[in-house]
Amino acid sequence: MLFSFSLIKKLAPGQYDKKTLIEKLNLTSFEVADAAGDAMEVAVPPNRYSDAASHLGIARETAVMFDIDLKDEFKKIKPNIAKDGPLSVKVMDSKLCQRYLATYVAGVKVGSSPAWLKEVLEICGIRSINNIVDVMNYVMLEIGQPLHAFDADKIQNGIIVRKAKPKEIIETLDGGKYELGKDMLVIADQNQPLAIAGIKGGKISEVTPATKNILIEAANFDGIATYTASKKLNLRTDASIRFSHALAPELARLGMQRALQLIQEVAGGKLFQTTDFYPKKATTEMLTLDLEKINRIVGVSFSLVQAVKTLKQLGFIQEKKLWRVPEFRPDIQSIEDIAEELVRFYGLNQVPMTPPAVALGSAFEEDQLVLKDKLRNFLKGAGISEVYNYAFVSEEECQVSPVGVFGYQSPVPLANPMSIQSAYLRDNLAPGLIKNIKDNLRFYDEARIFEIGTIFGKNQKGEVQEKLVLGIALAAKQSVLELKGLIDALFGQLGFTGYSMPDLNLDSKALHPKEALRIETDEHEVVGYFGSLKGIRHGSIAELDLGRLLKIIEEEKEFKPIPKYPSVMRDVSLLVSRSVRVGEILSLLQNVSPKLIDNVDLIDFYEDEKLGDDRKSLTFRIVFQADDRTLTDEEVDREMAIIAKVIEDRFDAEIR
Amino acid sequence: MNLDGIRNEAEQAIQSAQDITALEAIRVKYLGRKGELNKFFDSLKSLSLEEKRTIGPGLQKLKLDLNEFLVKKIAAFQAETGMQLSLDITMPGKKISVGHAHPLTIIEKQIREIFKALNFSVVEGPQIETEFYNFDALNIPKGHPARDMWDTFWLKDTRGKERLLLRTHTSPVQIRFMESHKPPFQVIVPGRVFRFEATDASHETNFHQVEGLMVGKDVNLANFKFMIQEFFKRLFNRSVKIRFRPSYFPFVEPGLEVDLECVRCSGKGCSVCKQSGWLEIMGAGMVHPRVFEAAGYNPRDWQGFAFGLGLERVAMIKYNIPDIRLFHSGDLRFIKQF
Repeated sequence: MLFSFSLIKKLAPGQYDKKTLIEKLNLTSFEVADAAGDAMEVAVPPNRYSDAASHLGIARETAVMFDIDLKDEFKKIKPNIAKDGPLSVKVMDSKLCQRYLATYVAGVKVGSSPAWLKEVLEICGIRSINNIVDVMNYVMLEIGQPLHAFDADKIQNGIIVRKAKPKEIIETLDGGKYELGKDMLVIADQNQPLAIAGIKGGKISEVTPATKNILIEAANFDGIATYTASKKLNLRTDASIRFSHALAPELARLGMQRALQLIQEVAGGKLFQTTDFYPKKATTEMLTLDLEKINRIVGVSFSLVQAVKTLKQLGFIQEKKLWRVPEFRPDIQSIEDIAEELVRFYGLNQVPMTPPAVALGSAFEEDQLVLKDKLRNFLKGAGISEVYNYAFVSEEECQVSPVGVFGYQSPVPLANPMSIQSAYLRDNLAPGLIKNIKDNLRFYDEARIFEIGTIFGKNQKGEVQEKLVLGIALAAKQSVLELKGLIDALFGQLGFTGYSMPDLNLDSKALHPKEALRIETDEHEVVGYFGSLKGIRHGSIAELDLGRLLKIIEEEKEFKPIPKYPSVMRDVSLLVSRSVRVGEILSLLQNVSPKLIDNVDLIDFYEDEKLGDDRKSLTFRIVFQADDRTLTDEEVDREMAIIAKVIEDRFDAEIR
Repeated sequence: MNLDGIRNEAEQAIQSAQDITALEAIRVKYLGRKGELNKFFDSLKSLSLEEKRTIGPGLQKLKLDLNEFLVKKIAAFQAETGMQLSLDITMPGKKISVGHAHPLTIIEKQIREIFKALNFSVVEGPQIETEFYNFDALNIPKGHPARDMWDTFWLKDTRGKERLLLRTHTSPVQIRFMESHKPPFQVIVPGRVFRFEATDASHETNFHQVEGLMVGKDVNLANFKFMIQEFFKRLFNRSVKIRFRPSYFPFVEPGLEVDLECVRCSGKGCSVCKQSGWLEIMGAGMVHPRVFEAAGYNPRDWQGFAFGLGLERVAMIKYNIPDIRLFHSGDLRFIKQF
């Protein structure tokens, strides 16, 4: 909001320049920035529109700040004709219009405004129209109360403040046509709406050079109603912005008084008596000055003298033991608000630094945070770098991961997306990671990335949920096996051993169907998946549900005794058809004699033309181990013979 | 000394040498340019052809033999120590593949460490919030233009009758934490937040905050000042100046903005701080009594401070990153710098 430095200084005369004022206001009141010439830009906080969205308000802050007196510019105006004007005022909705003042002024001279008036308007970015309209705007800038002047001769039989009728249409001053809603308040006469209350005046009753008699309106319109109407109509005006912030009804009286004074000065005319519809007077807050509480909040020791002086300067009135809050400060409702007033004028930067007296309790971090730290450390150590992606995706990017792996039925759409490309909340990390890999392969031969992020989706009941997921994507030769080994090592680090990796058997847009496995617990609860990516050479991806993983590893941790007896290691090499999958042989080997076999691993693999067509050579290392004795060579030989027989029979293998 | 004498002496020296350095000394003594053998070769010049023929071959053989002894002895030493003389240690080191944490992770972790050392716990909260937790409970009522301070992404779906949204700040976790914990306590809440606004070099739709909340019987503004000064000192590893400016956030009273003296120019004014010498870094204040009420506390019993800090903003200041959009670029050329 733009302000005129000269006008502020006129209202709060003192020895200060513009730069000093701006600096001081920033540290005492709110954000103020310098603007061209005499202008300054003030960011009036939403709770300060009743007192500070006006030159008078800024001058009041200034006066307290510099300890100077505010100049009283405002005279009480007496009517020339001691009776009501010829137009009646009827307010039908006293909730949306708490107060309505109207004054009939007869015989005004419409013309251009004097230079001083035009100048202030220009500095504040308002176009001069004529002396009547300009006074209305000037008073808004000076006092903070929006006003409106009607051409009184265009009003048929008085003013009615009522809600708009369904589909009622109004043409506004700027020629716009608006269809009104039934919750919107209008100022009407018996025939039609003359203004959208608190937002904009209508064309029909516009003050023109031909206007002789005017009706001045100073009203208080409901904040929420004005805000809602202005949003619905997409019509934001200086008046609507102010009314939206719920102004104090007292401002209407002050504004009318000032307007009448200036109208007489610049346009003459005879004033009729002002009518003031104000059925339910707004109450003003009465507060005790609990200095002890204030000092306890701020951590300084204000003296009573200090506090009383500041409150009086701000317009508080002492009534016995209580303090009456000024009518234009509806933002002050509690002792905390008074504390703020005192500490800002005392100086926020004068507040000392005091170490708090803290009860000793050990600080903790939530388990999820600890898990994330562990994962990040591990992955970083494994040569994988971390990325962050947006939570927004397009519809096509939903369900790129195997459908159903995270228990989501459908994705979550935004009600107000920025674009079609970001209309949904991501229900998997894959699209971001795949894009990252592609982008990075323009600059690197290999890429290894991971992301720990939240995904969103709706469950079977249609409830919106969110989950924490780890996604890893690699692009490097044989990366899918690197990824598999990485997952094994990661689970090993976390102490998670009870899992298997069966075929995926779920639809997936991104994965090679034959090179994708799901990861599940021994109880067949799916923890995640991994596999080779379609469309990216040597690309692979994995996603793990960290919520599930966290639950599992909390339960899993249990110490296993270190074996007492030595183990025996044997290698077996075999030739099998290329169509035989290593996973099947491994699982068979592990199950031949589970009591004696501790571990089976593939230690060599090759395919060669010399082996004959369609054959591959595999070497497995089998570790035998018994809990209760040292195994003898004969025992192990016997086991190996069984193993050889089973493999030969089952896979048509040739033991070498 | 005659040749046999030299042979015996040299052989013995080689056999009893303790290391390669000693062998090198022996080599220089006997086989060097000014060594014992060359003295003999020099003396040959003055001898007759006959004499040269008798002494010469013996001298030549001695030279070859000593050389052989030396080579053998060196090989023995190398075998003992496993040393390979052929490696050129000045070659570039073998490339080790190292992963990099995201800069926001690094900053978040650092902030957590500092606050943990100050006895703050760390908790998280949901990114999808209800209108109640994100706004109403924080004293930001429906239909009030103060809500315009937070441009919001809304969801189409509801939870029961409650409208859902993407949290616009980490402040809802204040309410959630207070609902299930009794003071005194102090916590921080890192997490992702969302704003419906056009992106540019300093604005993002997705970004990260760290919320702080300390509640007790008499936790005051002076305590906040102490804590936050301490925090910035540790974050930037040196003493930094801060200042407070009054500000408005509906969930605090008094409310304020914390400025940090520009770390680039030390307050002199530069392009980073737009010549002001100060960087806006955090919003803060004393918890509003209505927020305590919304969380089920009696505001007469408790008081405390709350603050919110933008992670991207801190990272940009600390690492001199010019564009906020880099954080979500996934570009390894950016990430591998951290």
